[in-house]
Amino acid sequence: MSSGGGMGSPGAGGNRALWAVAVALVLGFGLTCAVSNEPVRAYRVLLSGPLPDVAWSADAGWTLQRVTRFGAVIEDAITLSLLGLAMMFGFRARQFSMGADGQLFLSALAAAWVSVQMPGLPALALPAAALAAVATGFVWGWIPGWMKVRWGANEIVTTLMLNVVAIQTYRLVIARVFNDPGAGFLATPLLPDAAALAVLLPRTHITWFVLAAPLAAVLAWFLIERTTLGYQIRAVGDSLPFAARAGMPVGRTIALAMGLGGAFAGLAGLHLSNGLLRRLPVDLTPGIGFEGLVVALLARNNPKAIPVAALLYAYLKAGAQAMERASDVSREVVLIIQALIVLCAVSERLMPAAASEWLRARGGLRHER
Amino acid sequence: MNAELTPALLLAAAVFAAWLRASAPIILAALGALVSDLAGVINVGVEGLMLVAAFFGVLGSAYAALWWPEAPAWAWPLAGAGLGLAASLSLALVLGVFHLEFGADLIVAGIGINLLAAGLTVFLMVTVSGDKGSTAGLASYTLPALQVPGLGAWPVLDAWVNGEAGAGHHMLVYTAFLAVAALALVLRKTRFGLRLRAVGENRDAAIAAGLPVKRLQYAALLLSGLLAGLGGLYLSMGYLSLFQADMSAGRGFLALAAIFVGARRPLGTLAAALLFGASAVLAAQLGLLDIPTQVLFMLPPLVTLLAMVVFSERRALLARRATARAVQRMPPVVPMPFTKPPAETEPHADGH
Repeated sequence: MSSGGGMGSPGAGGNRALWAVAVALVLGFGLTCAVSNEPVRAYRVLLSGPLPDVAWSADAGWTLQRVTRFGAVIEDAITLSLLGLAMMFGFRARQFSMGADGQLFLSALAAAWVSVQMPGLPALALPAAALAAVATGFVWGWIPGWMKVRWGANEIVTTLMLNVVAIQTYRLVIARVFNDPGAGFLATPLLPDAAALAVLLPRTHITWFVLAAPLAAVLAWFLIERTTLGYQIRAVGDSLPFAARAGMPVGRTIALAMGLGGAFAGLAGLHLSNGLLRRLPVDLTPGIGFEGLVVALLARNNPKAIPVAALLYAYLKAGAQAMERASDVSREVVLIIQALIVLCAVSERLMPAAASEWLRARGGLRHER
Repeated sequence: MNAELTPALLLAAAVFAAWLRASAPIILAALGALVSDLAGVINVGVEGLMLVAAFFGVLGSAYAALWWPEAPAWAWPLAGAGLGLAASLSLALVLGVFHLEFGADLIVAGIGINLLAAGLTVFLMVTVSGDKGSTAGLASYTLPALQVPGLGAWPVLDAWVNGEAGAGHHMLVYTAFLAVAALALVLRKTRFGLRLRAVGENRDAAIAAGLPVKRLQYAALLLSGLLAGLGGLYLSMGYLSLFQADMSAGRGFLALAAIFVGARRPLGTLAAALLFGASAVLAAQLGLLDIPTQVLFMLPPLVTLLAMVVFSERRALLARRATARAVQRMPPVVPMPFTKPPAETEPHADGH
C-alpha cells in the first residue's frame, strides 16, 4: 500500500493530531447546527462540561463541584490509554487487530474469577488477578496472530469473529455459572476488598491504577523502542519483505505483537473489573475497543503520547454526555466526531492529490515532492 | 406427489427460503468487497455502507410517502431505495477521496467509515424519530417480492419457487444471484473487468501501461458501494421493514471473510456467503432446542473461523498437487555427465 509509512511510524507528532481533532470538531459543529436549535450552547457544554467547577464564596471558601464527573473522565482515560496501547502494538507491526473488545471482556472475567477464588490469600489476590487478566488477554490476542501466520487468515475478520465468541462466552459464563443470586441482577459476585484497587480520590473510582496507565505507556515504549522484539515489530511493520530477508522471525513477531497488544487490553480488563466495577454485569456494553483505535491513531502510534490522547478523547466523551443532558443534541454526535478524527488522523496530505496534480500541471507547485 | 412426503418437502422449502433470506445480504456485500479487493482497494467499510443504505432507504420511503401522498404506492419504496443507494455511494466516495486524494491508510479509513456510519445513522435516527433503538415509529415501505404466478395447483413446487407463504422471493434475493453472474461476466469478459483486475494485480504495471488507475479504483469503490448498498436495502426494506441500530450486525465483516474463503472469485465468494447464511439459519433452527442463546450466537463466527482455516488448508493442498502434476509433466531430466568435485579438505576449526 502506498501510504504505509505514515501508519506505523510516529512522525510529525502532535501537530497533525490537533489538526485532526480541530477539523473533526468543526465538521461536528456543522452537523450540530443542522439539527439543533441551540448549537452554540450545546457545543459549549461539549467542550467545557467535564471540567470540575471551582467556586469561591465568603462563607464556604473554595468548593469543588462536579468532581465525580471529572473523576469519570480520568477513569475512562485510564481504560482508553491501556486500550490505545493494545491497538498500538498491532499497528506497529501493520496488523489491524480489532480484538481489543474480546480481550477486554475475557480478561475482566478472568480477573474477577481469580479474585473471588482466593479468599484465603488476600495478599495474593490482586497479583493473581492481574496475572490472569494479562495472560488471558495475551492468549486471546495471540490466537488471531497465529491464525494469520499459519493460514493467512485476515486478522480484521478473525479478531471481529473472536470478539463475538469472547463476548458470548462472557455472557454465558455469567448467566449460567459465575453469578451472585443475591445481586438483584445478573452479575458476578462482588469482588473482595483485598482484590480491589484502592480508591485514591473520594467520590470517584480513581484508583492507584491512575499511575499504572503512564507506567504502562513507558513499558510499551520500552518494549517497542528498546528491545529486540520491538525492533522486529517495527521492521515487520515498515517492510515485511525487508524483515524476512534480514532473517527475522516474521511470523513469530506478528503473533507476539498481537499477543502483547492483548496483554495490554488485559490490563484494561483488570482495571474494569477490579477498579471501576468490582462486579461485572452480564450486559456490559461492547465497543470500547474501537475507541482504543481512535486513541492510538490520535497519538500516531507513539506510546508516550497515548495517555494524552486518551485523556483528550475521554474528555470529549464526557462532554458529549453532559451535552446530551443539557441540550437537544444527542451524545451520538461524538461517535461521528470520533469517526471524523480517525479519517483525518490517517490522512497523509492536507491537499487532495487531484488538486496538487492540477496545480503542478499548471506549474503552480514546482516544489511538491 | 407422495402425500407422506409433502410436509417434509414443505418444511424443506421453508428452510430453503430462510437460507436465501439469510444469504442474500451477505452475497451482495461480499460481491461489493470482492470487486474492491480485485482492484486493489479493499473496502473494509462495507458494513458501514450497508448500514447507511438501510437507514436512508427507510427514511426515504417514509418521507416520500409523507411528501408525495398522491404518488402511487410503489414509488415510495423506490424513492427510498434511490436515497439509500445514493447514501452508500456517497460514503464509498468519501472512502475513495480519503484514500486516493488525502493518502489515508485504506484499512483504517475503512474502519473510520464503519464508525461514521454507525454514529451517523443513530444520530440521525434520534433526530428524526426520537428513538435510539429502531425506526418502528416511522411508517416505511418495503421493496416488493417477485412471485411466479400460476403455481397454486402444485403447493410443493409453489413453496419452493415462491417461498413458504407463496408470496415469492424478494426482488433483492433474485438481484443477489443475478449480481454474482453479472459480476463474473464483467470481470471475465469485459475490458473494464480486465483493467480492474490488472490494477489490483500490479498497480505500478497498470500505471506504466497507461491505465487510468485512480479512475478505475474510484469505479471499483463506487461499485462496491452500489452492491453493499443493495445488501443494506434488503435488510431494512425486505428482511425487516424498519431500521434498527447496527442492523448490519457484522454481515459486512462476514462479507470480507467470504472473499477470503472464496479465494477472490465470484463463485467461490457466493459459496462462502451461502455457507455463512446456512450457519445463521442453523443457529436459528437450533434455537428451538434447549441450547443457551449465547452458544447459538457463537455458532456463525465459529463456522466462519473454521471455514477460513479449512479453505486455506485446502488451497495449500491443491497448490501442492498442482506443483506435483507440473513436475510430472516436465520432460524427463537427462542425466548430465557428473563429475564429483574434489573432496575439500576442510580444516578443523581448531586449526590442527
